[in-house]
Amino acid sequence: MPITTRELKDVNQLVISIEERFDFSVHQKFRDSYINVDTQNTQFVLDLALTTYMDSSALGMILLLKDHAENFTGSVVIKKPSETVNKILEIAQFHRLLTIEK
Amino acid sequence: MVADTDKQDRKLALVVDDSKMQCMVLAVLLKEEGYTVFTANDGARGVSMYIKYKPDLVLMDINMPVMNGYEATRQIKSVSRNSLCPLIFITSMDTDQAYIESIEAGGDGILVRPFSPEVFKAKIKSIQRISDLYGQVRSLQQEQQIDAELAEQMMSGVIESRNFALDKIGIVKQAAALFSGDIQLTAQRPNGDVNVLLGDFTGHGLRSSIGAIPLAETFRAMTRKGFTLTEIVTQINRQLYDLLPSDLFLGAAFVTVSEHDKSAYILNAGLPDAYIFGVSGEIKHQIASSHPPMGVLPQLLPNTNLTVLTVDADDRILLISDGIVEARNEYGEMFEFDRFEVSASAGVIVGNVSERVLNDVMEFCHSMPQEDDISLIDIPCGGWTTKIKATDKTILPHRDKFDIDTAINLPSAWRWQLTLSGSRLAKVNPIPMALSQINEIEGDSEHWQNLYTILTELFVNSLDHGVLELSSKLKSSAEGFALYFKERELRLADLKSGFVDIQLSYHPMEDGGRVIIYITDSGRGFDYEKYQEKIQQGMADKKFSGRGLLVLEQLCESLVYRGKGTVVEASYVWNV
Repeated sequence: MPITTRELKDVNQLVISIEERFDFSVHQKFRDSYINVDTQNTQFVLDLALTTYMDSSALGMILLLKDHAENFTGSVVIKKPSETVNKILEIAQFHRLLTIEK
Repeated sequence: MVADTDKQDRKLALVVDDSKMQCMVLAVLLKEEGYTVFTANDGARGVSMYIKYKPDLVLMDINMPVMNGYEATRQIKSVSRNSLCPLIFITSMDTDQAYIESIEAGGDGILVRPFSPEVFKAKIKSIQRISDLYGQVRSLQQEQQIDAELAEQMMSGVIESRNFALDKIGIVKQAAALFSGDIQLTAQRPNGDVNVLLGDFTGHGLRSSIGAIPLAETFRAMTRKGFTLTEIVTQINRQLYDLLPSDLFLGAAFVTVSEHDKSAYILNAGLPDAYIFGVSGEIKHQIASSHPPMGVLPQLLPNTNLTVLTVDADDRILLISDGIVEARNEYGEMFEFDRFEVSASAGVIVGNVSERVLNDVMEFCHSMPQEDDISLIDIPCGGWTTKIKATDKTILPHRDKFDIDTAINLPSAWRWQLTLSGSRLAKVNPIPMALSQINEIEGDSEHWQNLYTILTELFVNSLDHGVLELSSKLKSSAEGFALYFKERELRLADLKSGFVDIQLSYHPMEDGGRVIIYITDSGRGFDYEKYQEKIQQGMADKKFSGRGLLVLEQLCESLVYRGKGTVVEASYVWNV
């Protein structure tokens, strides 16, 4: 499974992990992973430790997640991007938009 | 279209079976279903009949002389790659192996004898239904392709064909799909500076190019009207934010090359590093992305500043999209920045960056399909200046001798006035407003370009030297303009008081017209008499560093400073 989710109810977190390629081909699965989570103040953790490749449509998908999170006064945190993936995030200056924890 | 209906009316079937009896039985059943039937008694003959008649359905036996059914099927499927001609095996071999092999050979189904005529007909109907669906999908696809090609032609007509100076600026554009998500724009500012944009919309294909037309229009119109790069970037960001869905945005690098200032103004928002190469192929500067892509945020981040760099006339600025550095070869390796730098450097030396880099990328990728759009823009920092000729200045015959001291009392067709003060002075550029007034009232004219230059020089003098008290001595060092620009930005950001007042009056004449400009600023003024001496001196010596006043002297009919140098009155006149 390229996308797995874990709901940590006690800390109000949804952890979404993406394996291998994060691009338009996982668009629907990625959306499905969070779209029904509508608890206020949820922190959506995007775990990219196992993501090997990410393209600009993935950046767009992250922005959609951010919109969703903010609709429920929540937030998005990106965790453990690999060097390649981090380079993409850096070029897009995403650390100006949300939290990235290395 | 006609051919299709014609074919539908009399569908063709091909029966391949070494038993003539079997052929006849199947032919009868097929005729009852409205097919015209051809038969062949071995696989090889079946293949040649297939090629000759292009039937809508093939029924195939497995064991036959000369060529068996599997081999015949493989050959038929290889020549019919682009159309689904349904092929059904008819056999009495009721084994798993026969079933698997017939599907692997390319068969679309298998019917095991014995079967009733009803079952046979049902099978034919179901397979024909699938084949019809396939045909519909194909014709939809073709229609879409034709529409897309048309749209692409129009799009590139609007966008690329209207770019400026394509003979000087090298552009590489290799689209991964029919529609490129990458966009390259070039346009000239009224003062001769060149604006360039390389953009990369999210994804590719039609979806990614919907923002291209408004982007190109905004970029061109604002450049033509003389807006600064910061103003253009601000507007494009806002426009794309309003226009595009949140997952669609534009990574972009913006450049203004000012040959006169020996400067390049650059903002990289979401593209790989931009480069400035020196003439011997050395990297002088790398400008990393410093802002999220356009259209992500409703406004630019506070403290978004252009990078201002001093450049030589033979330097080259290179902008690239990620398609180049992420291009892959058959081992999964990427082209990467180090290969790009070597390639670009070699290209700079031989004087053809775009061709060199494109060749190197293609050679590297070899046979691998291109995954992303590949773009590069190569901008020379020199060779842009159009010299102002003395003939640009209109000198009226003596009878019309103009006295600017009484000009204020002249009857005018219209007047326009604007006073900007404090922070508004820092934020608003009045020159495009003034020009659009002139354009709206008097229509388009080639003379407005000179007027733009005069207005810009006068306004910038009043703002920079008057209100902001910047010394033009700052500009004299090698890194001068960059330093000057930085200091200017700082002082503008802090600006709370001070004003600049601009007045225009328009005086039509029988054979042309005259515009009189009055600009007043709140500064301390300057010793204009000494300055004018220096200008005279400079013109005589033909070596003059401060272009500003020299240009004004050359273009204006008259130019007079008043007060302590805080008021300037200039007139521009033309004949038609």
